[in-house]
Amino acid sequence: MPVEQDMLWYKRAIIYQVHVRAFYDSNGDGIGDFPGLEQKLDYLAELGINTIWLMPFFPSPLRDDGYDIADYNSVHSSYGTLEDFRAFLGSAHKHQIRVIIEMVLNHTSDQHPWFQESRSSQENPRRDWYVWSNTDTRYQETRIIFLDTEMSNWAWDPVSKSHYWHRFFSHQPDLNYDNPAVREEMWNVMKFWLELGVDGFRLDAVPYLVEREGTNCENLPETHAIIKELRRKLDEQFPGKMLLAEANQWPVDLRPYFADGDEFHMAFHFPLMPRMFMGVKLEDRKPITEILQQTPEIPPSCQWCLFLRNHDELTLEMLTNIERDYMNDSYAQDKAMRLNLGIRRRLAPLLDNDRRRIELMNGMLMSLPGTPSIYYGDEIGMGDNIKLGDRNGVRTPMQWSGGWNGGFSDTDPEKLYAPLIQDPVYGSPAVNVFSQKKTQHSLLNWMARLIAVRNTTGAFGSGSIEFLYPANHRILAYVRRLGDETILVVNNLSNAAQAVELDLRNYKGNILIEMFGKNIFPRVGELPYLLTLGPYSFYWFRLRKI
Amino acid sequence: MREMIISELTQAMQEFTRGFAHILPRIIVLVIVAFVGWAVAYFLRLVLRSILRLVKFDKLSESAGASQLLSKAALPSATELLSRFVFWVAWLGFILLGVSVLGVFGLQEQIAKFFLFLPRLFVALLTMFFGLLGAGFFSRAALLAAVNANLPSPRLLSVAIRTIIIVFVLSMVFEEVGVGEQTMLVAFGIAFGAVMLGLAIAFGFGGKDMARQFLEERFVQGRKDEGKEDELSPL
Amino acid sequence: MTEVKSAEESSLTDDFLGQLISVGEVDILVGVPTHNNAKTIGPIVEAIQAGLLTFFPRERVAIINADGGSRDGTPGLVVNAAIGDERRSSKMYTLRTLHSISTQYASSPAGGTALRTILSAAELLRAKACAVISPESTQMTTDWLAALLRPVYAETFDLVLPTYRRHRFDGILLTNLLYPMTRALYGSEIREPYASEYAFSGRLGSHFLTQNPWHEEIARAGSEIQFTLSAIAGGYRICQSFLGTKQHVERHSADLVPALRQTVGALFSSLEPNFSLWSTKTGSQPILTTGAEQEFTLEPLRINRKRLRDMFSTGVTELESVFRAILSASTLAELQRISGLDEEHFRYSDELWVKTVYEFAVAYHKSVISRDHVIQALAPLFRGRAFTFLMENRDGSAGDVENNIEGLCLAFERMKPYLLGRWNGRE
Repeated sequence: MPVEQDMLWYKRAIIYQVHVRAFYDSNGDGIGDFPGLEQKLDYLAELGINTIWLMPFFPSPLRDDGYDIADYNSVHSSYGTLEDFRAFLGSAHKHQIRVIIEMVLNHTSDQHPWFQESRSSQENPRRDWYVWSNTDTRYQETRIIFLDTEMSNWAWDPVSKSHYWHRFFSHQPDLNYDNPAVREEMWNVMKFWLELGVDGFRLDAVPYLVEREGTNCENLPETHAIIKELRRKLDEQFPGKMLLAEANQWPVDLRPYFADGDEFHMAFHFPLMPRMFMGVKLEDRKPITEILQQTPEIPPSCQWCLFLRNHDELTLEMLTNIERDYMNDSYAQDKAMRLNLGIRRRLAPLLDNDRRRIELMNGMLMSLPGTPSIYYGDEIGMGDNIKLGDRNGVRTPMQWSGGWNGGFSDTDPEKLYAPLIQDPVYGSPAVNVFSQKKTQHSLLNWMARLIAVRNTTGAFGSGSIEFLYPANHRILAYVRRLGDETILVVNNLSNAAQAVELDLRNYKGNILIEMFGKNIFPRVGELPYLLTLGPYSFYWFRLRKI
Repeated sequence: MREMIISELTQAMQEFTRGFAHILPRIIVLVIVAFVGWAVAYFLRLVLRSILRLVKFDKLSESAGASQLLSKAALPSATELLSRFVFWVAWLGFILLGVSVLGVFGLQEQIAKFFLFLPRLFVALLTMFFGLLGAGFFSRAALLAAVNANLPSPRLLSVAIRTIIIVFVLSMVFEEVGVGEQTMLVAFGIAFGAVMLGLAIAFGFGGKDMARQFLEERFVQGRKDEGKEDELSPL
Repeated sequence: MTEVKSAEESSLTDDFLGQLISVGEVDILVGVPTHNNAKTIGPIVEAIQAGLLTFFPRERVAIINADGGSRDGTPGLVVNAAIGDERRSSKMYTLRTLHSISTQYASSPAGGTALRTILSAAELLRAKACAVISPESTQMTTDWLAALLRPVYAETFDLVLPTYRRHRFDGILLTNLLYPMTRALYGSEIREPYASEYAFSGRLGSHFLTQNPWHEEIARAGSEIQFTLSAIAGGYRICQSFLGTKQHVERHSADLVPALRQTVGALFSSLEPNFSLWSTKTGSQPILTTGAEQEFTLEPLRINRKRLRDMFSTGVTELESVFRAILSASTLAELQRISGLDEEHFRYSDELWVKTVYEFAVAYHKSVISRDHVIQALAPLFRGRAFTFLMENRDGSAGDVENNIEGLCLAFERMKPYLLGRWNGRE
């Protein structure tokens, strides 16, 4: 049964980011798989999820957690077969859940047959599929992204005795997008999956597709042209599918990726995310409002994707030095938590497992303009393990119960793809789906409730935003509007009770109806509207004139 | 003839005696009242003297400059003076009360007038006292201000102000007491007016440079009036 | 502007209180009392901002302006220094909102009421460290704020007073009366007991606020000295911090009497309530100072010395009647004697000056004449002393000047029993 046809479905999406390997193991090999994921679709549907974003599941040497792809048209054997995938996809659609998959355009694994051929000799037909050079001095102005591990963007290949370009790990050579054959083949890859039925792609590392001398090799016009071409073909042949950009750039540099609504449908709003954490720590809304003031208007068919955490480190790239130092001192005193200009921790540990702060952050995630993306496990408040190296500390097995292997797998614990979190605070006996389902006021049930309330109005996903600037800088308040609907959101970013007077003159005569309990609050009159909020609490009000 | 004189005399004697006998009790009452009055007045004087000593009235009058005036007039100290004054007023009051008992016609009215006069006398004295106090204060204030502003003849200015205030006060006192009010008023008016007119003319013609200097000092900011050199900042 | 409450009722209007609620708890509070300072306040507020953002970027800060009825738009200029998310004009980047709010505490300036407003705000906002900056310190640099605040914020001092680099003839009232007398009486070598900028801890501020009766006199002026004395009396930790150059401000001769009223008047009126404190102290203790204790610059300065000498002589002659009530017979005789000397031989010695000052203090205490008149009468005598100071120090080095001042201080300390004797009534 096809999912309801709706061209702007992504504006109403609640995205759940999950790695099939980490979710549920159905065959006892210690690694999650597609049949397992399929079994857990009920859980996701109950939570209120309507879109799954799958992390890469392609065959890969797994030196970058699957982002180093060795075969674009297949499924890694650990996770199942292509048939398993097809079955899962069909089942997801039956649950009215769409599925977005990763498409790593920029680079492949050095184990990919294309690269093996390319490096074999200078005359190989696929030689030009990658970016080769005899020297390592080209494109000098390009920054290094993985600062902790890479010294240069060029790597020496002993086989072909030349250098190849790689913006990420040295085992991930960049594809050469100046080669039409590359562009053709990548579209074929996408077509393959679209024909299977996937609903969209998250295009990884898009700013880096094209290189030009004398530039920083990011966000070049040629890159945009390539994406536009992909989009054109997509709209022609597969209408209703979505492209999501992963581009860690300032808002003003992200804007071109939407173009006139003919490039990406969605893009992650990277700069907002660390500022939300900063605002809560400073107890000052200034970082948040400032970045959103600087965020440009995007075409009506386009949408921001908001998130609190993901599989990568909490990136601090888009911050000034003062801000970065402040974030490191506040959230990552232990230097082991820091990686590549970021902090590799999950949501709950970042917020000291403070239930109120976790709720507040999720409340903002769900009410700021954009489509929210939830990282698997954050809905129950899972912890992390920074000792696992790179960013694997936030990619541990999902905790389903307090029992054997946290309910993730029947195998021996030593065979798990990664060890379970085990400390008494975040370990599976303390934090798991089963016990949270049984507890009425668990975080899980609260999240489900939050999503349900968000879904009662389209104003959050598609509406406009107008910030109020009450004199009390600890209060972040804004109004979302869509058509007739007007929603007032008030957040208390501080650890102490606050009083705030809001200027609601434009909404005089409206009665406020609190959206969770549906109780009525006093009508807006002539005077400033006085509200009091407890520590880290927030209100969503529907404004109604009766 | 002789018998007529004797009988007339006798009759006169008898009438006199009768009249005297008639008035004698009243005279006795008068004497008693006077005596009692003296006692009361004396007591009042003692009490007042103690009170005034307690509030250091002498000190106050010294700073008013009243004491200097008194000593120049060979009068006793202010405390003593006031106490004695009260004594005499009280005793006089009692005596007059006694006299009124005598029933002499017309005397009543005068006595009533005297009692009505007392409050005004008191007010006059008070005005005098505070006037002297004020004169001393303002004259000293003027002296200090003139010295610090480097005006010429500060003492002259000080004395002038003192004199003006005292004359003003005196005229008020005389008016209050009702002694030659009109005369005093007119005299004061003429004198004051003349002084003012004189000052105005003098200031206008002779002091026009100084006037200009004065005005500039007050209303034009940032000017240096003592030659070309700076003044130190004391802080 | 909302209705201004009189100082007796409350130092905080409703409007101001509302603004304080919005500011919330702060770590550092900077108070600026103003009255018609539109010409100078702009750069000063910028320097305060820059100082806060450079040295205290993560701290919660607020600038509080207590205005005494300015008519030239001074409060508006201070409020414009706020940096928040709504105000996008700022060239400076801040991590947090920087609040800058203003209130009118009265319709005419009164230094004590301004200070009380600032202290009340500091108490309600639970500020850990506060600074008061004068709106006339145009030579203020970014570092001044850090120099004042760091000892309080980081090192737990309670009161930080400034020291400056000044011209040796700048502030003669300070070097010849205020500093030596405060030092002799209260035992602390505070160079600037009447400071126009200083910093203090929240603790000291609250202590002063609750302890101090706010008389009419203090409300008008003299609260700074009271503040310093309160800190000494309460045993709070005091230190000094070198700020920089204090520019020579051109003043008019008519400014001497108001200056005397504000400083010497305040000092004299502090003697009675603090009698138990100063009567028992002997000698003096140096105060911990960061940076130089003071520096004298020696560039030539044109001064009208003759005028000083003449005003002294005039004063001694014309005010004889007044001096007779204030000074002892011997002192007055001595003054009359030196008044007759020519410029070359004229010398207002240290001892004579100390005697003069002490006798004035006693006369003030006993109110032999109106107290304000006592202060005014001191002016011509001060000029004479200033003349001697100028003559004695015109050729020396900075070290010589300092030694002379030190000598004067020791004279004040040595003759303290004289003051005590006269104070207790041995007339």
